[in-house]
Amino acid sequence: MKNFLKLIFLSTFLLSSEIFAQDNVELVAQCAAAAGNVTYLKDLVVKLDAGVPGGNPPSAKFSMVLSKNTQYRFSICTAPDSEGEAYLQLFDMNVLQGSTYFPNTGQDFPFFDFKCQKTGVYHIFISFKEGKAGEAVGILSFVKKL
Amino acid sequence: MVLVTFVTHLEQILKAMIRNIISLFITGVLIVGCGSNDTTIDRKKREPIKDTISMGVDSLLPPSISSDVMDDFIENIASPVEMAALLKDLKVEFSTRYLAPTANADELTSVYQQAFYLGIYAADLGYLNMYNKTNSVMEYLTAIKSLADKVRVGQFFDFTTMKRLAQNNQNLDSLMYISVHSFNQMDRYLRDDKRSELSTLMIMGVWIESMYLITQVAGNLQKVDNTSETLKERIGEQKIILEKLLIILDNYRNLPNFGQLVEQVNLLKTEFDKVEIQVIPGEPVAVVIDGVLTIEQKDESVISIEKSTLNNIIQKTEIIRNKLTSI
Repeated sequence: MKNFLKLIFLSTFLLSSEIFAQDNVELVAQCAAAAGNVTYLKDLVVKLDAGVPGGNPPSAKFSMVLSKNTQYRFSICTAPDSEGEAYLQLFDMNVLQGSTYFPNTGQDFPFFDFKCQKTGVYHIFISFKEGKAGEAVGILSFVKKL
Repeated sequence: MVLVTFVTHLEQILKAMIRNIISLFITGVLIVGCGSNDTTIDRKKREPIKDTISMGVDSLLPPSISSDVMDDFIENIASPVEMAALLKDLKVEFSTRYLAPTANADELTSVYQQAFYLGIYAADLGYLNMYNKTNSVMEYLTAIKSLADKVRVGQFFDFTTMKRLAQNNQNLDSLMYISVHSFNQMDRYLRDDKRSELSTLMIMGVWIESMYLITQVAGNLQKVDNTSETLKERIGEQKIILEKLLIILDNYRNLPNFGQLVEQVNLLKTEFDKVEIQVIPGEPVAVVIDGVLTIEQKDESVISIEKSTLNNIIQKTEIIRNKLTSI
């Protein structure tokens, strides 16, 4: 009986963990493929809780080195069962360089290209619209040398 | 009496079961916690952004970037793909001379060497993949698999699929994707598994080998009086990367072998200190090219590097790379 219970518990926990990991692997692969004819470099897997009502949306932050004379592609893919819809923003220190979401027009882009002219550390933020909870994957791809 | 004994015994069994269930539950929570750490970045969750996003993109305010940014891990600090792509773009001929021999792989006994060499071979694999040299890819895949197993990250290296893709000489894009993704997973796992020092060694290996590759090419071009300004600039801007790497490396200075690594890398820093980088500011411009939203950065970095400094960097990189890869 004890062994049986142990087995059930362990199986349940291991299985849920494995399924979760597997989902992300697939989402990363799908998102990388959706980026088009480019070379995958990095994936940024995000899972965020909902923000506080009336507050600002939580976001996940990444720091990343980008090189001069290189064209990169930043893609965002929201997980199928995610409550919120994700968007990605690229900052050079405090200056917004690019975004997959334009709130004033409501326009969404699955990706944008960034023609980098300055080698350095850039910051990527992934958030969910209206501060909802959600899961998403951001992908950095190499497009070409400029 | 028998009933009392039975009830007491049953009570003991139930207590033991409850204890086990509680311990299993805790274990389960820990397992789930570990599992999610492998795949999510909950730990990077930020405080809510201070400024609302309600207007146009021009007025989108950045989530306040605090000083803790530099404490975060920096992604893409050394990319095996980008350096190789640069060489291919410059139409530099492929050469096996620049590759680290895989015969060394079995002789690496310490986990320090194994992790460092994982990075070295990752850079070489990126170079081979970029030039579609699938014949040589196999020996590097085998070496990497062997080292990855020793460092206990072999589960992320899909050797069978990569071997099949390489042998069939098909789906080379998939081979590139799986290779890079495998390394990203290994790197992430090492950091989540509290073995960041090994992740750092892997990254250092990638960087040193990539540096070796481009400096060797630059050196050879110089010999035929054909200095590539692009390469020169690309080497010079490694000053920025080196500074970040040294900050990361310094955290492990007291660990065995790291002192020597820091010492070696600092030899390069003395040369890179002579490189001047100037930034000309500008506002980014968004355009749509072939249906793709494209942001053109108008900031520009200008790299000034004396020929003597470049030569010193080329020489020192070769010495350091060979020293660090000698067994």
